[in-house]
Parts: sequence; C-alpha cells; structure tokens
Amino acid sequence: MLVLLFIYAFGGALIFPESYANYTDTSLRLSPPSARHPFGTDTIGRDVLARTIYGGQISLIIGLLAVSIESLVGILVGALAGYYGGFLDSLLMRITEAMLNIPEIFLLIVMAKFFGGRIPEIHLLGRVFSGSVIVIVVIIGLTSWMYLARIVRAEFLSLKENEFVLAARATGTSNFEIIFRHILPNSIAPIIVSATLGVANAILAEAYISFLGLGVQPPTATWGNMLDGANNYLESAPWLWFFPGLLILLTVLSINFLGDGLRDALDPHSRAV
Amino acid sequence: MGRYIIKRLLQGIPLLFFISIILFVLMMNMGDPVATMGGRRVTRASDYERLRRQLGLDKPIYTQYLYWLIGNDWTKTDVDGDGVAETPGTRRGVLRGDFGVSLVSRKPVLQVIGERLPNTLILMLASEFVIIVGSLLVGVYSALRQYSALDHIITALSFIGYSMPIFFIALLSMYIFGVLFKRWGLPYLPTVGMFDPQAGKTTAQVLWHMVLPVLSISIISFAAYSRYIRSTMLEVLGQDYIRTARAKGLPRREVVYVHALKNASLPIVTVVGLDLPLLLGGAVVTERIFAWPGMGRLFLDHVSRSDLPVVMGILMMIATAVVVFQILTDIVYAWLDPRIRYEK
Amino acid sequence: MNAKRFVLTFVTAMVIFGFILTACGPKPVPEGPTVEETQAAPVQPGDGGRKVATLIYTQEFDNLAPLYTDMWFAWTTWQMFLHWAWEFDEKNEPFPRLVTEIPSQENGGLSADGRTLTMKLRDDIKWSDGTPVTADDFVFTWEMAVSPNNTVTSTYPYDKIESVTAPDPQTVVVTFAEPFAPWLATLWHGILPAHILRPVYEAEGTIDNAEWIKTPKVGCGPYLLDTWESGSYARFVRNENYWGSRPILDEIFIRFVPDDASQVAALQAGDADLGTFIAYSDIPTLQQAGLNIVTEPSGYNEWMFFLVNDQVGHPALTDVNVRKAIALSIDREAINRDLLLGLTKPPASFWDAMPFYNDPPLQNYPYDPEEAKRLLDAAGWVDSDGDGVRDKDGIPLELDYGTTIREIRQDVQAVVQQQLAQVGIKVNLYSVEADVYFASYGEEGPAATGQYDIQQWSDGPLFPDADLYYWLCSEIPSDEYPAGSNWFYLCDEELDSLIQLQATQVNIKERQQTISKINQLFYDKVYILGLWQDPDIYAVNPRLKNVKFSGVTMFFNIGEWDLAQ
Repeated sequence: MLVLLFIYAFGGALIFPESYANYTDTSLRLSPPSARHPFGTDTIGRDVLARTIYGGQISLIIGLLAVSIESLVGILVGALAGYYGGFLDSLLMRITEAMLNIPEIFLLIVMAKFFGGRIPEIHLLGRVFSGSVIVIVVIIGLTSWMYLARIVRAEFLSLKENEFVLAARATGTSNFEIIFRHILPNSIAPIIVSATLGVANAILAEAYISFLGLGVQPPTATWGNMLDGANNYLESAPWLWFFPGLLILLTVLSINFLGDGLRDALDPHSRAV
Repeated sequence: MGRYIIKRLLQGIPLLFFISIILFVLMMNMGDPVATMGGRRVTRASDYERLRRQLGLDKPIYTQYLYWLIGNDWTKTDVDGDGVAETPGTRRGVLRGDFGVSLVSRKPVLQVIGERLPNTLILMLASEFVIIVGSLLVGVYSALRQYSALDHIITALSFIGYSMPIFFIALLSMYIFGVLFKRWGLPYLPTVGMFDPQAGKTTAQVLWHMVLPVLSISIISFAAYSRYIRSTMLEVLGQDYIRTARAKGLPRREVVYVHALKNASLPIVTVVGLDLPLLLGGAVVTERIFAWPGMGRLFLDHVSRSDLPVVMGILMMIATAVVVFQILTDIVYAWLDPRIRYEK
Repeated sequence: MNAKRFVLTFVTAMVIFGFILTACGPKPVPEGPTVEETQAAPVQPGDGGRKVATLIYTQEFDNLAPLYTDMWFAWTTWQMFLHWAWEFDEKNEPFPRLVTEIPSQENGGLSADGRTLTMKLRDDIKWSDGTPVTADDFVFTWEMAVSPNNTVTSTYPYDKIESVTAPDPQTVVVTFAEPFAPWLATLWHGILPAHILRPVYEAEGTIDNAEWIKTPKVGCGPYLLDTWESGSYARFVRNENYWGSRPILDEIFIRFVPDDASQVAALQAGDADLGTFIAYSDIPTLQQAGLNIVTEPSGYNEWMFFLVNDQVGHPALTDVNVRKAIALSIDREAINRDLLLGLTKPPASFWDAMPFYNDPPLQNYPYDPEEAKRLLDAAGWVDSDGDGVRDKDGIPLELDYGTTIREIRQDVQAVVQQQLAQVGIKVNLYSVEADVYFASYGEEGPAATGQYDIQQWSDGPLFPDADLYYWLCSEIPSDEYPAGSNWFYLCDEELDSLIQLQATQVNIKERQQTISKINQLFYDKVYILGLWQDPDIYAVNPRLKNVKFSGVTMFFNIGEWDLAQ
C-alpha cells in the first residue's frame, strides 16, 4: 500500500512534468473530473491529478525530513538527559515538559508565523521549493521531538546500569562512544517504531497547518494546501478536497499499519495500544 | 498526600514561568500588530510610531515581558513621545490577574476569552462525553468478543478513524449530511455556526448545530480510546482474580461490569485527565471548518493580527490547566488504586 | 450472558445516556448562563409585525468606537448609531446630516484661504439618552483624537487641525494649520458623546478603558447597539429617541459569517437579507436564487506596484520599457474574464471610480506579448545563455513578486508567473500573512524593506477624496526614517511636487487638473498596473426595500430601509 503511494507520488512524476502540475488554463477552471483531467481542475484550471502527484512528493518529503529533525533532537535530548542525569537531566526534562504542555497545533501555528516568509526559496535536485517547505519541516521537527526524547531517556536510564556499559566505562571508553556505540544501538527498536509513526504525524501536521493557510505556500502544491479554501467548494467542487484528503488518509493509515507491524516485530514485549 | 500535592504544585510554578518565556519570545517575533490597524490601508507612519510607543511595543523584549508579568504601575512610561516618562502605568500584570487588553478589540483579555470559553466547553464536553461512553461500550464489547467478526471490523474502523485527518472527516460529513441529504430531500444537518439566527440561540438549536462538529471530533479520539479500553480490558479479564470471581460462580455480568471494568477503567482515567485540559483550546481546525465561535477560532483570528495579549492569555490558560490536571489525575489515580501511595 | 443480552444492555445504556444528554442539554456548562436562553424571543421576521433585517458581515468588527478602529466593517457600522456631520449618498455626493448646510466658500463656511471652516449645527439633534448634541461634542472629539493619552488607531485627519472652538452650542469653528483639501471626505466620521466620556477622561486621564469605547450603547443615529456576542452576532434596535424621522425597521441583526460558502447558503435560503463582500465566483449562484447584486465602486482597485529604484529593486524595473513590457505580457482581460467571471475590468487609472479626476479617461495597455518581446529586446534584455530567461550584463530578468495570503491573489500570481515566463521573464512568487507582509521597516516587513520587486494589494485614493500621499520622495523608508510609507521606493520629482500641490488645492477645478496630470504620469511611466477593479459587492434580498448604498459607506439611509411582508 505504502509502496503504491510512493510509486504514485514519485512514479507519477515520470508521466507528468512538474510544469504541467503548475500549468494554468483559466478557461478550464473548476471543471469536474473527466477523461482529460481524471481528478478535475482547480480554481485556476490546474490539473488536480498532477498536483496530487507533486503535492504527494512534497508531503512525503516533508514527513521524512521532519522526522529526521525530530529524531535528531529527540535522541540527543533523551540521550544526554538519560546518560548524564543530574542537573542536565532536570533542565532538559523541564524543557520537554514545557513543550508538551502546549498542544502541538498551537505551537505549530505560532512557530509558522514566527518563521513565515523569512526563508527564500531553494533549488534542490533541479527543482524549486518555496522557502515555506523548509519552514514547515523545521517547525514540525521542533514541535514533535518530546515523546521520542522521553522514550530514549527511559531506555538510557535502564541500559546505563547494565554490565556491558559499566564494563565499557571501566576500560576508559569515552562518554561519546558509550552513548553512540553502545547504548544507542541497543535502544534502536523503540526509536524506529516511534519514528515511523512520527512520519504519519508529520504528514498530518503539515496538512493541518497548510489547511489553515499558514503552511507551504502556492504554487508549490502539497496535499494540505490543496485543501485550503475547500470550505468554499464543499458543494460546488467536491473533487478539490476529496482526492487530496483521501490520499492523506491512505498514507497516514498505511504508515500507522507499518508502525504497528514494526512494533510487533521488533519489540515483542510491548503491546499495541 | 498533602505534602505531595504541595510539592507538585511548587514544581508546576517554574514550569509555567518557563513556558511563558518561550511563548513570549516566539510571539514577539511573530508579526506586527500595528501593521493591520489601518483597516484596508497601510497604517500611517505617524500613527505607527505613536501606537507602538503607547502600546509599549517599542520597549525591549525583557521590559515587555516584565510588564506583562508584573505590570507597570510601579513605573512611568512615555506616552506623548517627548522622551520623558511621565505617565504612571496602569497594567497590573498576569501575576495579579491582569492579562492586559486586546490590541485588536481594546477589551480586557479575560473578557475576550470569557465570551468564547463557554462555547468551546459546550462543544468539547459533549464530544468527550460521546467519546468516553462510546469507546467504553465498543471497547468492552470487542474485548468480550475478541476475534469475532465484529471485533475485526471495529478494529479496522478504529484504525481508519485514528488515521483520519479531522478536516477530511469534517468536510466529508458536511458534504454527506448537509449537502447530499439536502439534495435528496432528507432532513439535513446544519453545517456551520452555533445556531440559526432566525430561530434564536435556543438549546435545541445549539444541540442541532453541535451534531456534526461533535461527530467529527469524536471519531478521531474515539478510535484511540476504544482500542485502549479493549486492550486494558483484555488484560484485566485474563487476570487471576477475575478467574477466581468467575470460578466462585458470580454472574458473568457482575464480573465484567463490576470487577473487570472497574479495574480496566484506571488507565483510562489517566488518558482522560490528560486530555481534558486540551479541551480548553478547543479543536482549532474543527472550529474553523464549522465556524463555531469558540476559543480555537478566537486564537486563529487573534494570531493573524498578532494580538499578543489574547494569544498569550489563551496559551497560558491551557498550559496552567494541563499542569493542574496532571496533578489532579495523579491524585484521582491514587485514590482509585489503593496500591499506589505517594510517600514522598 | 449471551450476545443478545449484551446488545440489549448496550441499547438500554445508549437510551439512558441519550436521556441524560437531553436532560443536561440546557445547562451543560454551569458557568455559561449567557449562552443559553438569553435570547428567549426567537427572532422571527414579521413576528407580531416586528420587522427584523438580517445582515451578514464576513468579518466581525473588532471595536465599534470611532477613533479606536479603522476596520471597514466598524467604520461602515458607525452610521447606524452615530451620524457623520455630513454623509455621502448613492452618487457619492455629500449631504448635510448634523449640520444645516455643508460649508463652502459660497455660503461663507469655508474661508477664502481654505484654513477656516465654520459649521452650523442643527438645533434639534440629540443623543439617545436625551442630551442634545452640541458643538462641545465636536470639540471633545478633536481633543480626544489628538490627546497623547489615548491609543487611537489614527489621528488623521484631526492632526491637520490647529484648533476647534465652539463660539456657541450650534457653531463649530475648525482652523487648519494649512489649507487641507480632503476635509470634506475625512472629517467628523462619527463624534464622541462628550457628556459621557469627558468625566471618564478627567478621572482616568484617558478614555481607552471607558465603557462606552468597549460597547457604545448611546448614540445619535437611527439604531442603537443592543447586544454584541463575540464570534456570533450583534443586534441593533430602533432608537426610540431618534431626533429624525422614525426608523422603519424594528431591529437589525448582524451575523458574523467568516466563510463565503456559508454566507451564500444563508442568502440563498433567505436566512439573511443582505450579504457583504460577495466573492465574484458566487455571483451567478446568488443571481439565480433571485438576489439583487449591487456593485458599488469604492475607489479600491487591485494593483501591481513596481519597485522603481536602482538600489533597492531589480535594475530592470527602472527602465520604463521593461515595465511597459510586463504590462503588455499579462492578459489582464483573461484574468478578469475567467477568474473574476467577467464581472470586473482591469482599471487603467488610480481614480477609476472617480471619473471626475480620470479625465481624459485612460485606455488600458492591451495584451500584446509580441510587442512586449520587442520592447525587451530593444531595452537590451535578451536571453543570451539560452536558459529561457532574459538577461543583461549578466543579470537575469528574475523578479520577486509578493502579495498576501488570499486565494484569488495567489491564483492570479500563478497565472502571471506563467504569462511572464512566456516572454522570458522569470518570476518568483511569495505570499505571506497580512500582518507579516505589512509589518514595518523596523520589523523587517518584506513590503516596507523593499524585498519584492513587484508587490500586489488593493488600494485607492482616500475615497471619496482624491488624495494620495505615499509616493513622496521624503517618505522612502531608511534606517534614519523607518516610518516612511513610500514602500515603492519611487522618487519622481515631477510626481512629488504634483502630489504635494493637490493636497493643498481647495479649489476643486485646479485640483482636478493637477490630479489629471498625476493620472497621466502614472500611466505613461507604468509605475502601477491595475489588475482588477475591487468594488464593494452586496447581495440584497428583494424583500429588503429602499436600500441604497454609497461607495463610501453602506448605511447612509438605513433609517428608510424597509422589509416587504
């Protein structure tokens, strides 16, 4: 399923060039699904099918990149707090708690405005991404690392008293090496599970924030910003919101399934809740 | 126990300080509240400078935070722009219960929030009620009928519900129950607003307009809750004392509803306790789609005009509620489960 | 226990909970008594002969007190409960309201040097609490506007006044520091009740926190504010103490409906009698439903503004032929035809809605990409490296084009990007939220600091006055003068002196000639490019009678509105 979606988003690009996804033909605006435009056209006559393909790429890339940031911050904070303990632990955990105390969507909105419009567009792999893509990746990463940090910290707390760690320390191995060579590989399973589920959350977060008009800015399409303004076309042009919405649902659903399966496979002790 | 509560409360205070500083810094750089004051025109240069001075926005960030926190009635400010601070401040600061005045509506923040809070609470309490009742029923049922066809269907559906973006379910339900039902001549549900102005704000109207938003909010959380209940219930049902109770010949109904459910509901208390304070913020996206005049929409409206006092007020209220509810949840948990004692 | 019993229990439980829910219904939240049952009497049109008109506002007014907001929805609502000294009718002609006649040089109200204005007030005008409206209220309003202790949103135009005095209760004498042409259009939009606010000002030193500023319930207009529930509605009722002829409607109910689709649905269903700021795309639907669409030019048009400054903007834009080429390569007719459903035209003049000043009327630049290419070639911008983008001296013709987040704007941006690409101009699109976009120079606002080579928003003269003020060289923002409002960074000496001249020309004929020159200059130099006219569009249910709109405000004859039963 997930593979199919990836093929859809990335393979579809072989059929339609990107310029086609942004090609406007104002005389064809809001035409319903037809043989030429299977998903219909949007308010300025762009092909919705092609836009869901390119939007999907951006959405998936945002999901993956955001999770990389999330994991980086989460692992670092969790590892440092768990390994060193003491004052550092208290400080980092207070920050974590403070971040957790504000619902993610509020943080996202405030952060989106904080960074909004300040990052120029970037050129990568021969394509142009609006600066807002970077903004979104960063803010999703920065607002979602807290759970992962807690998991990693708990793992570190339990592992650091293990014999193999004590042995390593006795032989004079540096702290850095102990953290990244010895403890981290042993706590990788819950991290992978959490990161997988994090991708789904990041895609959802992008969709919410773009839906509110604060996310990735046009003409770069994402599944989320294709839904912006959908309220006004609820009745007159349901294809505008139905297809991107459905694709988000399918993606999140299949990633959640994958995460669930991984959890069962990697970590037989934990129970799915 | 008493000492434990006091200790937890004392821990909460620096946490809230910390949150307020993070948020304040973020928000100071968020946008320019004076920029949109000119209505359809760009704010005039002369007004711009004056307003920033009068509203205290020209002060360095730490001064602004200090005024926000403890007020400025102990000092004087320069409001006429001659460089001499001559007017005593009037703000009393958050610590003394003064959240300031909205930069947009010029009303006190507490009044602005107070006008919207009931609307959000009505919506969210109703949703929470539906979620808890519904997920208890479904969760218990699927636990008792584990691996039955219906259990599988419920599991699959809850997985879909869990993955559903709320705007998609909201748009879909609006389209089906509002638009399509109307088109088919069936009784249809209202899609936006809190009541029909022609009919006035009656209880029936509010309930009727609540159906779709409550449905949308419920489906998302319902899935997670019922899966959770199912698994705790399964765990409890497998334990010795249940088998003993059953072996003693107690009626199965009593075993399930009195003994098992009581114990299975413990972890649920935690989940609910941690979820409740989030209700204050309302569902930002849901309120936006259904044009529900609650806190979520208030937040969006005021964020878009960088109205710092109101936005800070909303966020600090939620953060405080989260801290308080965490403590409350721990207490209730201890009270429900005699095995737990907070000795320290 | 079998499945059947379980289901039975299940259903019973559901029913019980259903009952509980219903029983709890009236008071689900104990602390929210205001929410329930406060509106005991349902608002029924024709109920007991009561005439209630329901209007829809797409935005909620942020505040209702004059001086304390510049939001259009608040501004237009003032006329319901606070008259202007003189108001503007459906032809945008002024007529006296609180004064006996409009001051002019002929009747001696305006001195020959244009600095002194003498207004004669009616002697029968009074506030809804019975206190007469006198010259003192005018003096007080001016004092409050310029008092440094009040955080008013704008001191304009009161800061142009040197003094306001009241020789007797029916006479107001206004003295300007220098001749001030826009006085007729900008002065006295709602006055403050001195008898209520002066005691507050004397006690607190400011009227910022006065009760009347938060909810102005006392007024001197045909209707009075009764209730205002944030996020939902505001209700205005007839002023039983009104000094003019008795208003016909009993009540005016304003709903705040932020999204277009709901507004359209309510209008179609007849739940609302009047809709505001109708989107072009909804007009056909509303016409089919039998609503009258009223288009009222309000001076605003959507413009592209070019950043013409060799230090801040793109060097290409300092060449008038490049700007002309851009104008020729955008199919503005098609944008208006397809995206705005042919309901508007691209404006050629900044004074498009004021034919008196757009004289002789300008003709729009046509859509002619071939001519555009020729102009660009001639100007030296050719695609020398074959990448599809023209360049000159190693600088590619690549422009940053920014606007605010609004669907129609972002849509137009995408179309423009494509059309300019066809003549070899590359455009990078930006769109940010309005409060970020219009942030000041000091806050590094992208518009104020000149980050975009092409900017876009809706603007117009100070309608119904022809004034425009922000193209002055002295207004270019800099580190020394961050408050500058010339965000186009344009400094054209000729334009500069003409703009300064017209603001002081009290003689209307002379002013017309000056503005016509400015009009032609804008056009010839292509400093701005009109995208579409941005009139106010209303949808009116035919049962609402005697409705007249002015391009200035919507309620100048609100007291005469009626509902057919």
